[in-house]
Amino acid sequence: MVLIAHAGHWLTSVAYFVPVVGFLAWLGVTQVRERRGRSE
Amino acid sequence: MTSLAHGLVGRSDLPIPEWLFGWAAAMVLVVSFVALAVLWPQPRLQRDAWRPLPGAAGRLPVSRPVEIVCGAIGVFLLGVVVYSGLRGTQSSTANFAPTFVYVVFWLGLVPASVLLGDVFRAFNPWRATGRAVAGLARMVARTDLPAPLPYPERLGHWPAAAGLFAFAVLELAAADNDKPETVAIATLVYSALTFVGMALYGVEAWIRRGEAFSVYLNLFSRIAPFESRDGVLGVRPWLSGLPALVPIAGTVPLLAVMIGSVTFDGAAEATLWTNVVPDIAGFFGDLGLSARRALEVTFALGLLAAVGLVLGFYRLGVAGARSVGGGFTADRLANGFVHTLVPIALVYAAAHYFTLLLFQGQAIWFLASDPLGDGSNIFGTAARQVDYGIIGANATWYWQVGFVVGGHVTALVLAHDRALALYDEARLAVRSQYWMLAVMVGYTSLALWLLSRSNA
Repeated sequence: MVLIAHAGHWLTSVAYFVPVVGFLAWLGVTQVRERRGRSE
Repeated sequence: MTSLAHGLVGRSDLPIPEWLFGWAAAMVLVVSFVALAVLWPQPRLQRDAWRPLPGAAGRLPVSRPVEIVCGAIGVFLLGVVVYSGLRGTQSSTANFAPTFVYVVFWLGLVPASVLLGDVFRAFNPWRATGRAVAGLARMVARTDLPAPLPYPERLGHWPAAAGLFAFAVLELAAADNDKPETVAIATLVYSALTFVGMALYGVEAWIRRGEAFSVYLNLFSRIAPFESRDGVLGVRPWLSGLPALVPIAGTVPLLAVMIGSVTFDGAAEATLWTNVVPDIAGFFGDLGLSARRALEVTFALGLLAAVGLVLGFYRLGVAGARSVGGGFTADRLANGFVHTLVPIALVYAAAHYFTLLLFQGQAIWFLASDPLGDGSNIFGTAARQVDYGIIGANATWYWQVGFVVGGHVTALVLAHDRALALYDEARLAVRSQYWMLAVMVGYTSLALWLLSRSNA
């Protein structure tokens, strides 16, 4: 139960950074696709 | 002292979890970005729109007599800080020095600069003393003094960045940081270093580039609609002083220190940090440092890491912006957008410290009457007490979120406007700003996470 409680704290902290991680992932995928499109 | 910054009661009854405020803030930034891309097709903030105030309104506030009086007040307050710190009670909350330096000066002058312009320039005790000594020397010598050394271009804002970092080390890492004697001695040391800088390179050159607090507060004053030029006070659009900032060596690290120091102050409350402190301090203890010194070094390294994290994330955004094209070097882009970090530094400080200013700032009313903590009552206000009921925990959180979102949207506006001026194609400008948007969302998420840890 203590482990779950600690995991809950960690997950709450991680939740704050989901937007920026998600945005960076989207940005990275978009740039890779653009470069592939240019090379083709 | 800084513990008071972090809300005195826990939050309750928020309509949504705190982390969801972070998601909402990120959405606001994304929507703002889209709106800017559609509705702001041309740069609007890059031109100089300053105009002087007419007549006495433009001359009187920045006249020589007013400058002399303000400078005298600054020197007097500097003297009170040193005297009360050395000769007064060593209780940090009953002595004038710690509250004046850490709250009234360090925090209170920020909103004053944002609203009224570079007011510290007139009250700067070091500038006033330097100008007085230079004037006196000219009068005694009856001739012009030798010209100071030219200020080295490579030095830039590095002395200011180092000075702010040293202040942050004092504030956040040093043991006894709020002990009045420590504050007084630090003030004396800083004053001596400033006088050396002014003696070498000239008063104005050092104040403009090397004196940490002048440079720090001048950056915030660029948000204000007031600016004096050549002895005349004038008005300009809000924020327009920021695009006019000319980055020099050390400007980017300076902003990183400004944001990073607040970042560390918040992060120091988080278990992510508190869990590793014993191990790091133990390492330095094994090297022979005392327990106290080991802890100070640990916290100083943590502060350095926080500054590095902020700087690294900014450089990552710059690298990303560079990758979309345009032919700009990384340094060119880093300097070109550095002014956008000023509103972020402002709201980081505002969100983190405004409760400290609201609460402990009230203490200056009774400390002014009893600066030494010896029972005096100079102005009859010694019996006043701090009213902690001014703002509740939930309202504090809402203000903090508001500050963070407002500051980062402002930064987005500045970045978008600068990108339109830099890039030949508007499409390229907007694409380059995807990466700046990522930086802004990152800083926003970080700010709200830090605030949630601090107030937990």
